Order: sequence, then structure tokens, then C-alpha cells
Amino acid sequence: MFEIISSLLKYVFITIIYIFIFGIMRLIYLDIRSMSAKNFPKAVSLPYLKLVSLKDHFNFKVEESYLLTEDTTIGRSRGNSIHIEDPFLSGRHAILTKKGGSFYIQDVGSTNGTELNGTRLGTEPVLLKDGDRIHAGQLDFLYVSGERQGEGNAADEKRP
Amino acid sequence: MQLMRSAHKLPHPVYMLVLVDIFAFSLLFFRETPYDISPLIVGLSLIASILMVYFLIRGFKLGDEYIFLIVSMLFSIGAVMLYRLDSELGIKQAKWLGIGLVAFFAGYFIFGWFKVWDRLLFFYMAASMGLFAVTMGFGREIKGSNNWIVFQGFSIQTSEIAKILFLFFLASYYSQREKLFARFSKVRVTAAFMLVAYLLMGLLVLQKEWGTPLVLFLVYFAVIYIFEKDVRILLVNALAAVTAGTAGVLFVHHIRVRVDAWINPWADIAQKGYQIAQSLFAIGAGGFFGTGIGLGRPELIPEVRTDFIFSAICEEMGIFGGVAVILLFLLLVYRGFKIALRCGEVFEKTLALGITLMFAFQTFVIIGGVIKLLLLTGITLPFISYGGSSLVTNFAALGVLQRISAKQATAERSTAYEDR
Repeated sequence: MFEIISSLLKYVFITIIYIFIFGIMRLIYLDIRSMSAKNFPKAVSLPYLKLVSLKDHFNFKVEESYLLTEDTTIGRSRGNSIHIEDPFLSGRHAILTKKGGSFYIQDVGSTNGTELNGTRLGTEPVLLKDGDRIHAGQLDFLYVSGERQGEGNAADEKRP
Repeated sequence: MQLMRSAHKLPHPVYMLVLVDIFAFSLLFFRETPYDISPLIVGLSLIASILMVYFLIRGFKLGDEYIFLIVSMLFSIGAVMLYRLDSELGIKQAKWLGIGLVAFFAGYFIFGWFKVWDRLLFFYMAASMGLFAVTMGFGREIKGSNNWIVFQGFSIQTSEIAKILFLFFLASYYSQREKLFARFSKVRVTAAFMLVAYLLMGLLVLQKEWGTPLVLFLVYFAVIYIFEKDVRILLVNALAAVTAGTAGVLFVHHIRVRVDAWINPWADIAQKGYQIAQSLFAIGAGGFFGTGIGLGRPELIPEVRTDFIFSAICEEMGIFGGVAVILLFLLLVYRGFKIALRCGEVFEKTLALGITLMFAFQTFVIIGGVIKLLLLTGITLPFISYGGSSLVTNFAALGVLQRISAKQATAERSTAYEDR
């Protein structure tokens, strides 16, 4: 009798122990996320691109946010200022041009295209407004102009 | 996504811990036919004390709430295994948990009350040497190491206390060295520090204890790697270690036997290689999920209650159980590093780092030893192995770590308040 219970319970033990480990990891993950979300917007007053898609879905390296200081190119090849190895991005995918204090976005003939708030971009530059959503490859970015920081936080909570 | 969503409905890990203890100790209750309620009592007291301490930490905001949970899980796995090996041992281990938890809070509060810890550099040195003198004078040799003091029926392993003193010594040196640099030349201070560090490790070697100095050396080396900018200092230390290691292998019979057993335990399986071979048999017998608690033969492994407890866990809970133990230590060490990284003061930073590294290297050295990855040295697996001295000092060290994390949390709360 003891043998049967014990040899069944061993699977239960292992499962519970791993659920425990998973639970701890999840709590630590949430802890870190809440901390980085708290600290970030305060420090930055420059415009930046914020990743809206969940990072853990990708098997390539991508940052939570990209600061925009000058003309910026986005693409898969190494020469770009924002270089992300997303297979759905073209080698050179899109360009953000700085004019005055604001940024203009244009697609540079990418295979899968670039979308701004759901509409596909052409090759002519379009002015970016705070809170605009940019979709390229598998990635979704939020454009934060940096002047009104409240927007960035609100978008954070909208995250899936 | 689905995984994350279902995870939100998972109960808090602390209930998982309680569940493991309930299942394991009920299982042990059914093990022998004239049913004895002592496993249930041990299990309930374990659950009660863990829950009490955990909710104290959460309720009074005593800092990081994960490290204690992780340690409790490790302790529970160990206690179940020890009770299964020998019920007397399990009961004793549960009593040691009580003393360990007192030591945990003692470490927490005493470390917080006194503010002089960083200025006691010479006291730590003197205390280590005094401890050595006492051990040499009144000590008794148990299992080949002359590092036990027997006092009114209690035997205390003094090398465990020396370990903690060494960590305080390292931390206090790095917080005080700017002052020393102002008075003496940089080279002389560094050289003196290194000499004292080696002297303190050497004293343990004189007590025929090999594992603890090895762990302390690894901690020491990691700490100087972090704090010293000069590569030459690292090279000198590495050279010293290699020389000492080679000399040990060549001239110390005891170490040579270990090396022989490590390279080929099968050559002399009845004598020199017996321990390691039994350990490997046990791990192999376990397979992926283990034989089930109470169904293996871990009692065949020599020293299974202390050094080889990991093999027993692998035999009865399988390689998944063993990996879980390693993962738990990994999480503990991760939390410790995080606490150390967020420290502002050098003393607390070094101390948090030292304590974390001590847990890490001790686990690495002993698990590496029993799976024949590294040379086997007789040290305990923190929080799992049977042993009062080791358990109590480890819990005290954990209490200090907890205190350091609590101080940070209070500091952060007050800055957040000022921002508003």
C-alpha cells in the first residue's frame, strides 16, 4: 500500500515543487517589472519608442525602449541605428527623420511594410504624434514625444 | 500568454510549500504499520514555524520575502529526506529549525541594533584566531577534522562560526580600506590584507578541514575580483591558489586519496572510491522521477545525512528533484545578488555579497563533489544537510541578509515619500 502511494506521490511532489519555483519566479518577475516601470518615465524627457508587444514572445534581442535623439533607421541589418533581428523586418525597414523638435516616419520599401495606427505607410514622411502606434515586422512600438509623460504610463497599463 | 493567464490563478507559493510538507509527512506517517503520529507532529511544527516566520516577514515588512520562502522549501526537502533516513534525525532537525529561526531573528535584530559592524576589522581577526586557539586547546576530532568543541553534550563545529567571521572580516576591510590607505601605502595595506586572509584560511587547514577553506577562498577570490581594479592582484592570488592546490595534492596523503577516488572511483571501489561510487549508484538508481520516498536505498551511501544528502534526494525524488534543489539555490543566489547590487554602503554590499557567495559556492562544491564533477570535500549542503552548527549559522547569515534587504526597502519607501 505504502509503495503505491509513494510511487504516485513522487509525481505530485515534483509537480508541486516546480509550481512553487514557477510561482517564485513569477513574483520576482512582476516585482522587477513594476520597479522598472516606476523608474523609467521620470528620467526621460526625450522622445522615445516604447515596445508594446510582450518581449518574452520573441527569440531575438529587443529593448523595452529606444531613445530618439537624431535621424534613426530601423532594420534587420547591422548598419541600422535600431538593429533588431526580427525575421519579418527588412534589412533596412523604416527611417525616422528629425525636423525641429518632432520626428517624421517613412517606410523605405520594406517587404512587409510599416503601419502607423493601422494604416500602411508609403515612402513619403508622416509626422509622428505622441501616442502613435508603429507596427513593423512582429513588433509594436508606441511613440512617446517625451513632453507629456502621462501618456506613456497609460499605454503601459493597456498592454495585453 | 495562456500560461501567464493561468498563472494568475495559481495560489501563492507559500501554499505550495505547505502542501509539500503535508503530503510528505502524511506519507511518512503511513510508512510503518504500527502508526506513529510523530511524523505528523514534526510536519505540523515545521509548517507552523515556517508560516509564522513568513507572515511576520510580510506583515512587518522585514525586507525581501522570497529568500525565506526559498530557504524554507530547501529545508523542507531536506527534513523530509532526513526523517525518511532516520526518524530520530528528522525530529532533531526540526528542533534545530527552531533554534535556527531564533538565530535568524537574532541575526536580523542584532545586526540592525549595533551600528559598529564595519569598524570591527581587528576584532574579527582576533576572534577568528581566538576561536582557533580554543578549538586547538579544547577541541575534539570528529570524522577526521579537529574542529569541534564539545560543550555539555553539545558539539559545535567552530569552522562554521569562523566562516561567518571571515565574511565580516572581508566586508569590514573593504569598507575601511580608504582610511587605511590614507595612513599606509596602498601596496602594504593590500599585502597585509591578503596575508591575514590566507592566515585565517590556513588556520582552518591546520584543523584538517578542507572544504570550508576552499569555499572561503572562492568567496575571497570573487570578492577581490569585484573590488580590486589591478589585474596583478588577481594573478598573484590565482598563483597562490594553484601552488597551494598542487602542494596539497603532492604532499598531503588525505587529499591524494581523494584525487585518486575522483579520477577513477572504480579502481578501488571497496575502499577509496566507495563513497563516490555509492553516491553515483544512488543518483543513477533514481532516474527521472526517483524511486519515491521510502522506496530507495539511500542509507547505503556513507555520510548520507550530511555530505551526500543530495544523492539521496536524487535517488528518491529523481533528477527532477535534484534539479529543483539546484534551481532553488539559483533563485536564492539571484535574490542575494540583487540585494547586494542595490546596497549603497560598501560594508553591507560586501557582506550581502559574501553571504550569497558562501551559499552559492558551498552548494556548488558539495553538489559538484557528490556527482563527481569536482573533488569531493566534506561540507554540508546549506539548509538541507543535517547538522546543528551549520543550520544555525546559515540561518543567522540569512537573517543578516534579510536585515540588509529590509534597510533598503525602508530607504526606498522614504525616498518615494519625499518625491511626492
